[in-house]
Amino acid sequence: MKDDFINQVKPLLPKTDYCSFRFVSKYTNIISATRGVVEPVVISEDDGLMVTIFHNGGFGYGATSNLTQEGILEAVNSAKEWADFSKNRLAYHPDLSKLVNQTGSYFTDEDDNWSKTSMKDKADYLLSVNKALKSQPTISNWGASLRFNKIETLFIDTNDSYVRQKISYLLPQIIASAEHKKEIQTRTFGGHAHARQIGYDFIDQINMVQQAKVLAEEAVELSKAPNCSDQITNAVIAPDQMILQIHESIGHPLELDRILGDERNYAGSSFVTPEMFGKYQYGSKLLNITFNPTLDSELATYNFDDDGTNAEKKYLIKDGLLLRPIGGFFSSQRLGLDHVACSRASNWNRPPIDRMANINLEPGKDSFDDIVSSVEDGIYLQTNNSWSIDDKRNKFQFGCEKGTLIKNGKLSGVVKNPSYRGITESFWKNLSKVGNSQSNVILGTSNCGKGEPNQTIFVGHSTPVCLFENVDVFGGV
Amino acid sequence: MKDYFKKIANHLFNSLKNSEILLLNLDAEKTDFVRFNHAKIRQAGNVRQVTITLNLLFKRKTLTSAIRLSTDFEKDSLLLLRTLYYLRREIPELSPDPYLMYERNINSFENDIESTKLDNYAMTENIIDSCSAFDMVGILSSGTITKGFASSLGQFNWHESDSFNFDWSMYTETGKAIKQNYSDREWNQKTFSNLLSASKEKLDVIDNKEMIIKTGDYRVYLSPSALNEIVEMLSWGGFSYKANKIGSSPLHLLQKGERSFSKMVSFSENLSNGISPKFHTEGFIKPELTELITNGEYANSLVSPRSALEYSVNHNAAELYESPVSIHLKKGMIDSNKILDTLKDGIYISNLWYLNFSDRNNGRITGLTRFGCFMVEDGEYKGPINTMRFDETVYNIFGEKLIGLTDSQQLLIDSSTYEERSTYSSTLPGAIVEDFKMTL
Repeated sequence: MKDDFINQVKPLLPKTDYCSFRFVSKYTNIISATRGVVEPVVISEDDGLMVTIFHNGGFGYGATSNLTQEGILEAVNSAKEWADFSKNRLAYHPDLSKLVNQTGSYFTDEDDNWSKTSMKDKADYLLSVNKALKSQPTISNWGASLRFNKIETLFIDTNDSYVRQKISYLLPQIIASAEHKKEIQTRTFGGHAHARQIGYDFIDQINMVQQAKVLAEEAVELSKAPNCSDQITNAVIAPDQMILQIHESIGHPLELDRILGDERNYAGSSFVTPEMFGKYQYGSKLLNITFNPTLDSELATYNFDDDGTNAEKKYLIKDGLLLRPIGGFFSSQRLGLDHVACSRASNWNRPPIDRMANINLEPGKDSFDDIVSSVEDGIYLQTNNSWSIDDKRNKFQFGCEKGTLIKNGKLSGVVKNPSYRGITESFWKNLSKVGNSQSNVILGTSNCGKGEPNQTIFVGHSTPVCLFENVDVFGGV
Repeated sequence: MKDYFKKIANHLFNSLKNSEILLLNLDAEKTDFVRFNHAKIRQAGNVRQVTITLNLLFKRKTLTSAIRLSTDFEKDSLLLLRTLYYLRREIPELSPDPYLMYERNINSFENDIESTKLDNYAMTENIIDSCSAFDMVGILSSGTITKGFASSLGQFNWHESDSFNFDWSMYTETGKAIKQNYSDREWNQKTFSNLLSASKEKLDVIDNKEMIIKTGDYRVYLSPSALNEIVEMLSWGGFSYKANKIGSSPLHLLQKGERSFSKMVSFSENLSNGISPKFHTEGFIKPELTELITNGEYANSLVSPRSALEYSVNHNAAELYESPVSIHLKKGMIDSNKILDTLKDGIYISNLWYLNFSDRNNGRITGLTRFGCFMVEDGEYKGPINTMRFDETVYNIFGEKLIGLTDSQQLLIDSSTYEERSTYSSTLPGAIVEDFKMTL
């Protein structure tokens, strides 16, 4: 989006109590190779605008992919018409006097640019990863892919705000399935969890070919492994499972729009109520959770959210005590609470709602080896493959790709189909060790679904390995 | 929109060089979204979006790019030509695609639904007025959905319809809720009033003291909506030819003939309701009916053109992910007016929520009860139950533990709006199942 374009559209901001224009330009490129064949390459270019208007006690938006002057004015009119219609019919109307001018920018720091490597070289690399995956005859399905997204946003409003951000992220994925006596077991490179705001040099860092060899061996080992047995035990949970545990049982229940009931028809509400902030012991004293959109290379790092609120790190839970919700500037006004910069939209065609950004579990003191050696009897759980939680975010069940039994402080034998279930309100109180920064991994997922109309957005979770006591673990059929 | 698409298509086709083939898909919608909370407007607005996907084929190679557009011909034609040049420049670098298949025969048709001129403001006003005494939360999506296909070989297909989908819940002060959906091409006040009255009646029943039930096995009635959640899990590869070949299908044991469902169970992909377009993104025309499971035995998979070439079988114009878009389950014998009598003692489950696999190999699924779940004793509603987690295999639900299916089906139009409004639907009866496992 060039400056002359901005100069052209700025005069189109209508004279209303408040109006913002949020332009989004989104580029997606997905290259994948499956079972030794390069699949059709996906390229997508998606430009559009959302106009938001608050006027005379009403609210409306108009979104369009028509970025001609005529198209923008149509979107302004749609927003105005809905703002007029919704007057006296709104669930709440914010105090606009608290809005301030915001000016700034943010750009992902990429050492190596995605476009520097040709499409052919990327495809050839993925074929070499495929070759490493099909290293054993019992590998029944295998594949690898690279997803790149570049999202440029320009936000201007009637307060003369001007925010420009460009987020680029990369998601490498690997899958290997092995079959043994009609039992199929799958290992992946962290499921969908390795999305980062990072340059293409990340692909060299993670060495996908080497990862592929290990994953293929693990899939074969799992296909011959015994089922996980039912037991109440100690669970050492790896970062690529912790990401889902944090996401589903801390991130979502703390979203303020859920607490206020907006999501009750779809994504659900929360067991958390407004009175609990500042008083409720969410977990053990080892639990420290931050809303942190400032961590380098994490997926949802930015300087401003989609309402133009400037972003900073804040504790949501400190020493186990619940401090604040994930509520944006407008949303937090509904309860008179402190806000975080979490008002985010999946694209130009969806309005911002309360969203996780980077929700991180802060590292503790113990190394991975210290944690395992402290466990007399337990299980080490790796890589999420199934997740389910009730509409108030309390009764959860997660499945993992791989379980490794722990006996007398040592890892001792692999089991397949490990799952565990529990209740959020008691589970986090059983957090007994938190890994140190060496065991911490920056992860992120690009497909968090929520909202009406529905939105899928990218969120980051940085977490170390953790130990929980008294976990209800079980296996497959 | 149709004239615009034809003009754009001709412009691009005239720019092709020898041996190039271009397939175009258009996806467009003009939708008003009104989100409600506490029977008031939470967010309301309008979205207009148009996307054209160009798929350039050249010497058995393929490259695809999707572009959002304005519908301004001058602006869009430049953008699309630029994209075509980009595809033309990049495609020689790619390897030939061994699984590339596209329709070479010409099968043109146009499915225009006469515009019903939905009045979105009137519908919204009606909803707010009708629900003002209730704690209603939900969404109204209303407007036009358009899909088009054009190929440089001469084929042209068109699918356009006006429709609305109002998906809502009503809550009691104690937090219990009833969920309902009304979707159609025209708003009928009487139909809406009847649905609302039915919700209010159920709300009265559910507004009683919660019954805390224990884990264990229960006889349950699964409403069409609840059953739909389970059927959606089957659709994660269950009917996919490829998923069954590579072992990621939750029904691979059924497909291999090692397990079976009850003879009462017959699933088909049935496009006769006209909600989904009948043309494939590569131009193939979809069969109106594909039997998937017949009398409990696996009959056919959904086979995409790519799978057909990979595994040397015939395809049935399934899209890439080989999931049903309009699944039907044959109705059964249970009198739909006597569900409580037939259930007698057990749990009436109106909705399930957040399902996922707990053992995909063996078709085992977990999930939770959500809206409108009641304990029933001696054929009478006793009271709402607490939220319960279930964990059960599809071989029990549709197999040996299936008592029966109801004698009427419900059309469930998908209210999903990720990226765009869905054109998926399901037509399902309800089911009574014995020994349904509640685990938490």
